[in-house]
Amino acid sequence: MIRYIFKRFLMMILTIWIIATLTFVLMNAIPGSPFNEERTSNEAVQENLERHFNLDEPPIVQYFAYLKSIVTFDFGPSIKKPNDTVNDLLARGFPISAELGIISIVVALFSGIALGVIAALRHNGFIDYLAMTIAVLGISIPNFVLATLLIQQLAVNTGIFPVATWQSPMHMILPTLALATGPMAIIARLTRSSMLEVLTQDYIKMARAKGLSPTKVVIKHALKNALMPVVTILGTLLAGILTGTFVIEKIFAIPGMGRYFVESINQRDYPVIMGTTVFYSAFLVFALFLVDIAYGILDPRIKLHKEERG
Amino acid sequence: MKKWLLLLLILMLSLMVACTTGSGEDEEVDAETDSSESEETSSEEDSSEETASESDSGQVLRLNNGSEPTSFDPPQGFNAVSWNALNNLMEGLTRLDESHQPAAAIAEDWEISEDGTEYTFYLREDANWSNGDPVTAEDFVFAWTRLLDPDEASPAAFLGYFIEGAEEFNTGSGSADDLGLVAEDEKTFKVTLNAPTGFFLDLISNPAFFPVNQSVVEENPDWHTEAESFVSNGPFMLDEWEHESHFVFKKNPEYWDVDNVSLNEVHWAMVNDENTEYQMYESGELDTTAVPADLSEQLLESDEAFFEDQAGVYFYRFNVEMEPFQNEKIRKAFAKVINQEDIVQYITKNNEEPAYGFVAPSFQDPEGNDFREKNGDLITYDPEEARQLLEEGMAEEGYDELPEVVLSYNTSEAHRAIAEYMQEVYREELNVDVTLENTEWNVFLEDQQNLNLQFSRSSFLADYADPVNFLESFVTDSSMNRTGWSNSEYDELIAAAKSEADESQRYQYLYEAEQILFEELPLFPIHFYNQVGLQKPEVTGIVRHPVGYLELKWASKQ
Repeated sequence: MIRYIFKRFLMMILTIWIIATLTFVLMNAIPGSPFNEERTSNEAVQENLERHFNLDEPPIVQYFAYLKSIVTFDFGPSIKKPNDTVNDLLARGFPISAELGIISIVVALFSGIALGVIAALRHNGFIDYLAMTIAVLGISIPNFVLATLLIQQLAVNTGIFPVATWQSPMHMILPTLALATGPMAIIARLTRSSMLEVLTQDYIKMARAKGLSPTKVVIKHALKNALMPVVTILGTLLAGILTGTFVIEKIFAIPGMGRYFVESINQRDYPVIMGTTVFYSAFLVFALFLVDIAYGILDPRIKLHKEERG
Repeated sequence: MKKWLLLLLILMLSLMVACTTGSGEDEEVDAETDSSESEETSSEEDSSEETASESDSGQVLRLNNGSEPTSFDPPQGFNAVSWNALNNLMEGLTRLDESHQPAAAIAEDWEISEDGTEYTFYLREDANWSNGDPVTAEDFVFAWTRLLDPDEASPAAFLGYFIEGAEEFNTGSGSADDLGLVAEDEKTFKVTLNAPTGFFLDLISNPAFFPVNQSVVEENPDWHTEAESFVSNGPFMLDEWEHESHFVFKKNPEYWDVDNVSLNEVHWAMVNDENTEYQMYESGELDTTAVPADLSEQLLESDEAFFEDQAGVYFYRFNVEMEPFQNEKIRKAFAKVINQEDIVQYITKNNEEPAYGFVAPSFQDPEGNDFREKNGDLITYDPEEARQLLEEGMAEEGYDELPEVVLSYNTSEAHRAIAEYMQEVYREELNVDVTLENTEWNVFLEDQQNLNLQFSRSSFLADYADPVNFLESFVTDSSMNRTGWSNSEYDELIAAAKSEADESQRYQYLYEAEQILFEELPLFPIHFYNQVGLQKPEVTGIVRHPVGYLELKWASKQ
């Protein structure tokens, strides 16, 4: 087990290094400069700026400086936001993005599983069809469309919720709904189908025959195995939520990390691009690492398998 | 059992969040306590604080700044998201008035020497910083030296090149001691310029020229990054600044003209999505909004719509170093066949003024003539003549068939609509097939600057309110030229205009320069920009200057 974790950990570091290097190469390959403005630009002023941000040095020197910045986790100042270092931006934006992301994934998990279980138990009944209609809608409506719809209906027309920004718990409801609906739908469908399969298994019949209450059968015996596929796709869903926050944060004017990630590329704000990309990928790789380990704990067969191969 | 593991997993994920950002966790906790506090106060509705803010609520203006200001340090925040706010927090020697003319501000009065190169400003005795310090001439010397200091790397530094010794200092060949900036006494500030600069009083109303409180800056170089340490000298002061979320202005009691400021508070959101912004306006969370493009036709009919000039022009550049645009007649043919009127009426639909010259309207010469009116329409729509010009041009160059023409623009719906219209016109009227090409903004700019584009969309937004700012772009080797065009007579006229003390004569040079530009036509204009949006009827007195920044000093809300 320890050896497996260690190996996965090394792989993780390697992955991050590859991502970091690719980002650097791509960043240097695309044309443009952080100092390009449609407004008047002046060559002397540009040179001062380039010197100020060490962009006048050869790429290889910049590359090592950049690797060093990753190892020390100090990405230096932002070019386009002279008030802030990249670390400031991450420290400011990430907790908010994480808050939104975690609330959304929790909401998606619980409502998705509940919906899936109810649908499976009422197989082919009205509730099943209703739940699956909701799920299909949830999968097919992109979150930015849903966001705009929610704002128009629940904020502008009825005034129940504030339109945007991130201040009180009331402000969090619409963005969470918009972000959680897609993953919720996926989880619901997945839970329903695996639940249906599990419910026909012999051990469930056995459990029922023992005279256990239906609730106990469902929760302790059926759900336990039905949730395996959900755990499997948790990593992918997390990635989906992460990228979903870029859009949702913009629409709801949430001061999270997504905007830095998107804006920095358009503005060629090199330190911010590097910082956010490395941070996002490290986060995602680490999350997948956790999911893998959790999966290993959940299903002993998998751990054994991998350990043998490794 | 499995559910437990699931919970464990979630726990681990949140733990991971907590581990990666220790400081972030604190912020979250802060935010939570903040919100619980605010809930408490709102439950005690009749507390004195609550009633006070209620009686003031009529004077709280709610605006959207779009995104986080890049910097409130005057020489650094060289863009609209910083300027709009900064212009109301601080004040320079002059401030643009309701008719966009420079008026006395921190400087009560000034004298200009005979030859027009020496300005002596007398600062107001009652001009103070929000911390109570007086605004001194030393503060100006200090601030302007900072603007020009190459180590500060201010993107706005070039605006100060009119000052004696400034360009040398900023480019590294001179020193700060040689700058023409002198504090003669506490309230007398003398500036020496390289040449008489007719628009100098206008130029220094620009936020780049705002003073900074020397002792505050020296004590804390990061004074401008937080509301607590920010020291202002304008109509408002910075009361609260939650980064990337919002900031709040309060009336500045130390401001010399505080009696004429009627807003008590300005709340600035940072919403960077035009639909959301509009929806917030609809639900009453904002007092003004821009108009989402797909709703503009219907919304701009409403009573709440406003239209203000903006000193800028949307135009197309020809690359005179690439075939076939080395030929003047071919350039003219491509320009004259485009109907600017049609574009603003059927495509942009934003009430812009079609442009038939490069300098935007609203600049007046000493005789009181509007520059644009006086110099007239320098290019006119005439497809008949265009066809003939094209034929002549092709004959001159010996073309049987026109070399391939690629029209480039940066990726955007709005630019594409105009480009497609032009493509259609060229096909129909000139029988020329033009290829459209679009690239991402930064790539596009780079290509345009390196003269890689043959025929490309462009825009110009003035940095200061004078025609010379428009026209100086096209002198030989200017980084704004981007056409390969060069004309020595034009260069001389612009140089002469920059050093002419007599205003009438200066305008005369500029009139001639613009005429030359259109005789040779390395570019042709489409429309002048304007500032369009919706504003609640109870809001009055917001002034939007054509040079782009917002003025709230005289604003009020009933």
